[in-house]
Amino acid sequence: MLVCPAPRQMTYDIPGDERFTMASSSAPAHTSDTPSNLPPDTPGPHVSRLRLITVVATFGGLLFGYDTGVINGALEPMTEQLGLTSTTEGIVVSILIFGAAIGALLGGRLSDSFGRRHNIIWLAGLFIVGTIGCSLSPSWEVLTVFRFILGLAVGGASTTVPVYLAEVSPYERRGSLVTRNEVMIVLGQFLAFIINAIIFQIWGGEEHVWRWMLVVAVLPAFALLFGMLRMPESPRWLSGRGRDDEAREVLHQVRSPERADAEMDEVHALIEEEQEAQTGGWSDLAVPWVRRLIFIGIGLGIVQQVTGINSIMYYGTQLLQDAGFSAEAAIIANTLNGLASLLGITVGILLINKIDRRRMLLGGYGLIIFFHLAVGLAGNFLPENDFKPYAILVLVALFVFFMQGTLGPLVWLMLAEIFPLKIRSFAMGTCVFVLWITNALVAFAFPQVVSALGIGPTFFIFAGIGVLSTIFIYFFVPETRGKTLEQFEAEMSA
Amino acid sequence: MSILVAVTDSPEGSKALVAAADEAQLLGQKLYVLNLALRSLADLPVVDAGVEIINRKGRGDRDPVHAVLDEIENLKIDRLVIGIKRRSAVGKALLGSVSQRLLLECPVPVVAVKVDA
Repeated sequence: MLVCPAPRQMTYDIPGDERFTMASSSAPAHTSDTPSNLPPDTPGPHVSRLRLITVVATFGGLLFGYDTGVINGALEPMTEQLGLTSTTEGIVVSILIFGAAIGALLGGRLSDSFGRRHNIIWLAGLFIVGTIGCSLSPSWEVLTVFRFILGLAVGGASTTVPVYLAEVSPYERRGSLVTRNEVMIVLGQFLAFIINAIIFQIWGGEEHVWRWMLVVAVLPAFALLFGMLRMPESPRWLSGRGRDDEAREVLHQVRSPERADAEMDEVHALIEEEQEAQTGGWSDLAVPWVRRLIFIGIGLGIVQQVTGINSIMYYGTQLLQDAGFSAEAAIIANTLNGLASLLGITVGILLINKIDRRRMLLGGYGLIIFFHLAVGLAGNFLPENDFKPYAILVLVALFVFFMQGTLGPLVWLMLAEIFPLKIRSFAMGTCVFVLWITNALVAFAFPQVVSALGIGPTFFIFAGIGVLSTIFIYFFVPETRGKTLEQFEAEMSA
Repeated sequence: MSILVAVTDSPEGSKALVAAADEAQLLGQKLYVLNLALRSLADLPVVDAGVEIINRKGRGDRDPVHAVLDEIENLKIDRLVIGIKRRSAVGKALLGSVSQRLLLECPVPVVAVKVDA
């Protein structure tokens, strides 16, 4: 997904779908789905309790999406009022992503020390402070500071929310709930685009209009804050702290009684597994096959971000204005990018286990490059007429759709499955950090490149980088679909 | 009296394991194998019933040197066997040298086995 979460336990399986094969390996399961001999979870009041928990927690994903997407429509009026140049624009936009890179690193640590619920409550507070601060900013410097704070919250949410969801939900539903969080992120961006468009239609002439766009995000932030205050702590975290009685009590809230008691063993096994995952670190890079896997993981993160997907998610409205739309039309047209993203991720999640990974990566990148070139050609060579902006809009939306239908979710899945258990925590942390930083650098550079070279050449650059990415994937990225973790590990370490 | 061998995921690791097995047999002592690799050692031929394999586990064992020193203390080890190899200056600067730190910090005598000897 665009900039998604980096949960240390990540599952992508979809209910009714073959769960991704590596998870069913015999060894300490790949991720948190341990197909244990647990009694089925029977209906009861605990089901609605669990549903409420997941709705509340996924507000974290929604905020992640809204706060990263809202800049899209807000940027133009913001630029006018605060006098941004293409450099300060890049700073204001990308500082949030740099903050998120740091927030993702710190978030994991803090949620291990103080608890998932505790962490999410503080993040909600940070979302509120960041959002209000941004919307009241008198200058771009102040805005930058609060965007950074907001970024810390986004990054923290990206790691904590999926872990919390995975830890409260029964293993049968773990994958689908974590997936739902990812859909919520993209939905949050789409909603931000729609709300931007609506607000702009109403108060478009008003110079403060961008402040209203930003401030809308306090509503879900308050919902997250007050909601989480009533939600329980993760049973797995409690048990890991030696608080088994409390863990059992929480399980009784969210499982049928027989299931709750039976599940404590699974909780203990998963805590063991999580400790295992934290074994490896920096010094293990001395081993060539470990180094190679981390190199591949870092490459995948970079490859996903240099598609420029987030340039559209952050600068889509401006881009469409450059393409020839009026300010009013551009902000409405941009909602198509949000819709394409949402549809793409939905299709991607459905396809993800049906096609070989390498084929999906290479095929996806082929389509992405095709549309980069198409946007570039349209930008450079179409005559300036009424048709041109629409052509660019459709081509950009198709790029977004194919990106989110292939590389978006697939890179996250591969990051979750290429690392042996013992290095997973360190490896995922490193790769996701590089992914965020790449995202931030692209976001920083994009407005300057567009203003210096124009839309056409910018997309030719994306296409060129895409060719390099394809070469990297072709020569380095291994196939993982249909292999157990043991088979894959044996292959890589041979 | 017992011997600990620290086995890294490398040729020098395997060499150390072989040498330690000989040493243990020669001295008639129990051999503990500390697996510093992130994968299982089970399929190495030298690892037979007599030895006890210990795996690194958890954040506390993230630093291999700590893992080794901890086991030396816990298991009352009298001799440590490690494999060593010439490393590039860059490699040492970036990743550090586990064997150098063990040679300097280990409280019991260290048998260092060279891979190209």
